[in-house]
Amino acid sequence: MRSRAGLLLVPGLIILVVGLIVPAISMLFFPRRSGPGEVLAAFGSFFSDPFMMSILWRTVWIGLVVTGLCVVIGFPIAYMLARSGSRWVGMWLALAIFPLLLSNVVRTFGWLVVLGSQGVLGRVLMALHLVEKPPQLLASEFAIVLGLIQLFLPLAIISSYSAIAQVDATLDEAARSLGASPTRTFWSVVVPLSLPGVIVAATLVFAGSVTAYTTPFLLGGSSDKMLSTQLFYYTDTNVDWTMAGAVALMMTILVFAVASLSSATGRLGRTQ
Amino acid sequence: MKNRHPIALVLAVIGYTIMVVPIFFVIAISFNAGDTLTFPPDAVSLRWFAAALAHERFTSALVTSLIVAVIATFLGLVLGVPAALALARSNLRAKGAIQNIFFSPLIIPELVLGAALYQQLAIPLRLQNYLPVLILGHTILMLPYAVRVTGASLANMDGQAEEAARMLGASPVRAFFDVTLPMLRPGIFSAALLSFITSFNNVPLSLLLTKGSTTLPIEMLDYVSQGIDPMIAAMSTLVLAGTVVIAFIAEKTVGFAQIFGGINK
Repeated sequence: MRSRAGLLLVPGLIILVVGLIVPAISMLFFPRRSGPGEVLAAFGSFFSDPFMMSILWRTVWIGLVVTGLCVVIGFPIAYMLARSGSRWVGMWLALAIFPLLLSNVVRTFGWLVVLGSQGVLGRVLMALHLVEKPPQLLASEFAIVLGLIQLFLPLAIISSYSAIAQVDATLDEAARSLGASPTRTFWSVVVPLSLPGVIVAATLVFAGSVTAYTTPFLLGGSSDKMLSTQLFYYTDTNVDWTMAGAVALMMTILVFAVASLSSATGRLGRTQ
Repeated sequence: MKNRHPIALVLAVIGYTIMVVPIFFVIAISFNAGDTLTFPPDAVSLRWFAAALAHERFTSALVTSLIVAVIATFLGLVLGVPAALALARSNLRAKGAIQNIFFSPLIIPELVLGAALYQQLAIPLRLQNYLPVLILGHTILMLPYAVRVTGASLANMDGQAEEAARMLGASPVRAFFDVTLPMLRPGIFSAALLSFITSFNNVPLSLLLTKGSTTLPIEMLDYVSQGIDPMIAAMSTLVLAGTVVIAFIAEKTVGFAQIFGGINK
């Protein structure tokens, strides 16, 4: 049995090789109507092309802002939920998890209703006499950031919750009984001990934000291109397999880089 | 419990508002009797629900989405559960590397995978309908869920029951179906629900692979980019209702927070 157990891996591996590894490598290094090395050359000239660099920076910048805000908003929520004895915790947790099941298209569509020219927010602002005419809120980086926070905040809350729940609550009580203030306990006990979980959460949010398509497509303007919308442009709208390969390579490297950084930080944390 | 710092409460209000309020407006708009996305609605009506269900492009896309989700979930489990078993029970030297290959669909951007399948399989094969490639892509996306969730269930049980069955003369196949599989059932069920919902909602992977048959999220995205009316809100509300049913099934079986949040109570 044990020697033949490896055979159970074969069907899955075949599917992964045929449907993922070979097509991905072929697209990056031997794309259609483009010789080997051309994608790498295009990838190299990426860095001297102001237009492509502006797309890369917008993608990274939006990813960082969304990640930062998701952690800053999500961690305190997770902390309150993990340390509260209230019987409503289950309901609040369910309310944070449920959006994860719901289609991104449906969730993002909500912002068209809220931020649109006839939207709720614009009319509230006008009713309060804060603005004169309906503000242009859609088709902006602001709308993309808001939409991405909506998509990824649940991940930040759930990952942080699991991390905090694993920190023994008696450690909080020990710090408190030794005279630490609740604020001090939070920063000196809870945050450091749940940091590995927060790093995992931040990695998931960043990787999700820099590869998301629905949000920049629906909420961004034509000048708010991100790597994902640009990859679609080169594969569907204005077909250029060399550039498509270069953008795909950039996106993949970005995700791999942050994942490796995160696992390296995790290992460093464990050895200390 | 003195954990309710005022700043934390403010952040919680902001966070829950961003997560939940836009969804509430989608539901409210779908009951609008008029033609615009105004809130509050001038009059309440179900006309847009009737319109959405009569919109042939939505209904046929819904059928495609259900077919793709069911087949990809099934194939993901058929390929993934044996792989999880092999990874948990064998002592292969390359185990870590093989595990990474099975988890690689999680780290390769879905849009990149979709573009690769489009360029390297769909176009060269000159397919008139990309459905087989779409199902292949979704199956690949489901593999990590099947392997991870089943693997977690396997890690929680020891191999002793299986070994006992083997010592009493059961064949490896019989030991699997009579002993291991029944114990894995909650894990497999969780993986199936998670896979189904992930496939059903997918946009980036499906985006380039919809020639011949479109999935519902892509059809909705297409519809929204042409202009918006309450019909798309009504379709969204119907998708939401279906999602609530799935959440309810999850809660009544293994547990909602456990399946979708990975949180063990």
